Amino acid sequence: MEMTLSPTQAAICEACTTILRRAAGPARARELRAEGGADTRLLGLLADAGYLDLALNAETGPLSAALVTELAATHLALAPIGVRSLVVPAVAPAGDLPNLVAIVDVAIPGPVRYAAEAEALIVIDGHEARILQAAEFTATAASTLFGYPMATVELHGKGVDLAPGSGDVARRWWRVAIAAEIAGTARAAFDLTSDHLIGRVQFGKPLAAFQAIQHRMMETHVLIEGARWLAREAAFHGAPAERAASAALAAAEAAGRTLFEVHQLSGSIGFTNEYDLTLSSLRLQALRVEAGGAAGHSKALVTGRWL
Amino acid sequence: MCSGWKHVDKGERVHFDYSDEELSFRKELKGFLDGELPVYFEFFDLPQQERFDRSMEFVKKLAARGWLTPAWPVEYGGSAHAPWQQMILSEEMIAHGEPRTGQYMNVNWIGPAIILAGTPEQKEYHLTRISNGNVVWCQGFSEPDAGSDLAALRTSAVRDGDEYVINGEKIWTSNAGVAEFCFLLARTNSEARKQEGISIFLVPTATPGVEVGDIDAVVHPGAFHHVVFTDVRVPASCRLGPENEGFTIVRKLLANERVGVARYHRAAGYLDRVAKWCDERGLLDDSSVIETLAHARVACDAARVLVYQVWDERTRGLHPDESAWVYRTAAVNAERAVSEAAFKLMGAEALVRHSHADNQFEWATTAGIAGGSYEMQLNSLARVLLGTKG
Repeated sequence: MEMTLSPTQAAICEACTTILRRAAGPARARELRAEGGADTRLLGLLADAGYLDLALNAETGPLSAALVTELAATHLALAPIGVRSLVVPAVAPAGDLPNLVAIVDVAIPGPVRYAAEAEALIVIDGHEARILQAAEFTATAASTLFGYPMATVELHGKGVDLAPGSGDVARRWWRVAIAAEIAGTARAAFDLTSDHLIGRVQFGKPLAAFQAIQHRMMETHVLIEGARWLAREAAFHGAPAERAASAALAAAEAAGRTLFEVHQLSGSIGFTNEYDLTLSSLRLQALRVEAGGAAGHSKALVTGRWL
Repeated sequence: MCSGWKHVDKGERVHFDYSDEELSFRKELKGFLDGELPVYFEFFDLPQQERFDRSMEFVKKLAARGWLTPAWPVEYGGSAHAPWQQMILSEEMIAHGEPRTGQYMNVNWIGPAIILAGTPEQKEYHLTRISNGNVVWCQGFSEPDAGSDLAALRTSAVRDGDEYVINGEKIWTSNAGVAEFCFLLARTNSEARKQEGISIFLVPTATPGVEVGDIDAVVHPGAFHHVVFTDVRVPASCRLGPENEGFTIVRKLLANERVGVARYHRAAGYLDRVAKWCDERGLLDDSSVIETLAHARVACDAARVLVYQVWDERTRGLHPDESAWVYRTAAVNAERAVSEAAFKLMGAEALVRHSHADNQFEWATTAGIAGGSYEMQLNSLARVLLGTKG
């Protein structure tokens, strides 16, 4: 056991942070919210630096890919980094897929993140999975409040079947990716709210001085930390079904608590466009229902552990 | 067949693998405990005296195998095992009903406190007895008017020549009815800032003037006591560490107390039994059952992975604070989530005394109080993360 970043991991995180500070962050997230679409520029920068392929690198591995996914989310990156860096290498390790990949499970209805922008779509169908190129599906943009470009998907091509059992594998890694993404996104919302509570004076003292507020924030912090480390652990162990589901469920629960606490404790300013909170908070709602949400993760966890 | 890919790098980094030595240690320890103790045995279900007698007998077996104080330095009767082995020990002990009962405190932090601050004579006498499994201690911390606000304690120790004269009252003192020594916090300077006037005394409970009484309680019968000190005279050599610096020593060691009991592991074990109960009744395809079990399991998993941060810091020679507060909070969440799941799923069958659910209920309701209240963990965390006072 070792919980401290190695020099290699620390260097990856530092270099990624440099890219993310320059190319992501609240200002970029605002631009993208106005323009629509995913951040292909950021994906390109990360790909060029090799940070989307860490999972297949013997020197780094999937844990490093999870760290990058988490870090990118903390910097409000608007791109499917988790899917590209954790799911794609697991089911299509040949490395011939584009950077912008979306994922859908045919058993789960509803709009799909990044489907309209995706150059390829991983389609999970029961135990199996296949990959469709952009020409093989139609994505119709869906209006949503929840921070990501989303689209309903209609499949009309057969695509290329992935290896037998890829559906199960993709589902497990998808859960790890979601957990890492929630951990990073929730941290962004938490940190911004902490700053607000420290700076905002009411009744003659900072809001952070009130114990009622402290306790709610710290309980939220503990949930986020739990999700963060479960995501890392699941990535390290190769996303076994139970661990992946546990990480995703912990993250979904942390997301729910974080979303409502940060908005309650930020007051009305939290809902405004002049303030940055919704750039992270609303994404949590989309992430916590993805891949079957808490119900799906719970079923996978119980099946993996007790059945 | 797609099997996904596995990491191949085994170099130094954040990683979640136990070493071969640690795996071997767990296997050997578990095998021994499985052979010695009945399945689902709970030492805390036993009456106090029987619990004490059986524990004293069992702990000597652990000591003989070097498993009572494995993480201690060799010169103090330990085996210098890495802290991770202490975590494994803690998990396996609690999975087997915690046969050390009160002696887990000796191992986890009373002994380490003596290693940290004791005189050669104190180390020679006390550490040998603790590592041999020959002694039970209690901790004299809480008082009627000093619970969460521990530094407000009023029990006094007044220097009189080569002795101290102790007066005051301690309360909620676990194991006091059978303990041979009390790790006592007492005020030695009433003029100083309240945290700065406290000293530690290693007091034999047989000293004249020490009076121990039971407090009748609904949960964990025999676990609660009050201890009254009336003109108790102890030699100055009973003081641990410098005068008035007791609180500093205790704060360094309290993180050990917070991780001393692998609560998440016991709770997860109870949850496994509740899941088995559900499975035997064909309930595991019911979505509300699934979500209840999964929610509780995740709480246990989160506490487990968060305790790793504490052990990691200890491995690096640090005295964890923040990570220990986070873990303690998560552990309370886990205890409560499993209790809630057990009662929700088992219904009236959960009410039967010493059922799995009933046992877990006792742990869940006391988890947020023993070893420092849940709220104090949150306060301490807020002090660091939000820069608040208090």
